[in-house]
Amino acid sequence: MENENEEDLKALQLRFVGKIIAGFTHEIKNYLAIIKESSGLIGDMIKMGKLSENDVPEYLEIIQSIEDQIGNAIEHFTHLNRFSHRMDTQISAFNLNECIEELIALLNRFARQKKIVLATDFQQDLPPVKSNPSMLQLLVFSFLENKIAGLEKNGRITVRTGAVDNAVAVKIIPEGTFAEGDADAGTTTGKIRENFIKQLGGNISQGAAKETVITLPVHGV
Amino acid sequence: MPQTKVLLVDDEIEFASALAERLQLRNYDVKVGHTAIEAMGFIHQFMPDVVVLDLKIPGMDGLETLKTIKKLDPTIEVIMLTGHGDVLSVEEGMKSGAFEYIMKPIDIGELTSKIDKAKKKRINA
Repeated sequence: MENENEEDLKALQLRFVGKIIAGFTHEIKNYLAIIKESSGLIGDMIKMGKLSENDVPEYLEIIQSIEDQIGNAIEHFTHLNRFSHRMDTQISAFNLNECIEELIALLNRFARQKKIVLATDFQQDLPPVKSNPSMLQLLVFSFLENKIAGLEKNGRITVRTGAVDNAVAVKIIPEGTFAEGDADAGTTTGKIRENFIKQLGGNISQGAAKETVITLPVHGV
Repeated sequence: MPQTKVLLVDDEIEFASALAERLQLRNYDVKVGHTAIEAMGFIHQFMPDVVVLDLKIPGMDGLETLKTIKKLDPTIEVIMLTGHGDVLSVEEGMKSGAFEYIMKPIDIGELTSKIDKAKKKRINA
């Protein structure tokens, strides 16, 4: 039984990292595709002799578009870089909103492929949490994965954060039609999640309408 | 020979406008649609020779759009644009009558050569 859990855990971790990398590389390729066409267009215009003063605004506009795409790409690199470095230390004081925002940014494409909108709704000024952010991200992913798989296209999932007493909460709220069966009867076993939440010292509860609430104590495990 | 009429369908607005302009500078007659609905509108009004169709457009997706176009007029040739190695969609697209596919980031020379071949096939159809 232990072995089975360990294998399930490994499979979940691999799927998680796989989805993150796939989403990341697709986004970056997309930005590069735009940059390539924009710079190609500048080259075309020069070759065709569009070199009068009247053409300057168009050149500037294209250059701006290239800069914007580079900005988008850098933002993605920053997310991925932070995400990877979270695993350097197991327990750290972190900002819950930043941790979730990064996760959502990296998983956005995965949801979009199924035409599901991933939205966030953050309570500002949350206290820092002393816990294991990587494990929390993996736990949130395990729920998002199942809800994305269960929802029919044009659905929506909102991830909301909030604080109550000495705890913070992550609420995952799906909206839309579920294909069939239970949204959370997916690939991740309850046992793995129980194990995570035990290590995080928190609590998981299932709300109405297939909502999931994860609560974590602010002062850590 | 009259200009080749190309309908470019991609929801990535900046990508589509830069590519459209590059094609226009190469003497193609180009219209751009960002959604399947816009694309279908242009199929009727503009009557393109070749459609360059991104597979990941919102609403009715690229594959469904491809099938609808081929049903309306099987002589319109469709070149699929794909942002990633989505082998299954490409295979299904080819089975559904797409002429060719091209991966993003694209090579403009490769795209124009595929558009020209598609036009030739349409003329001979």
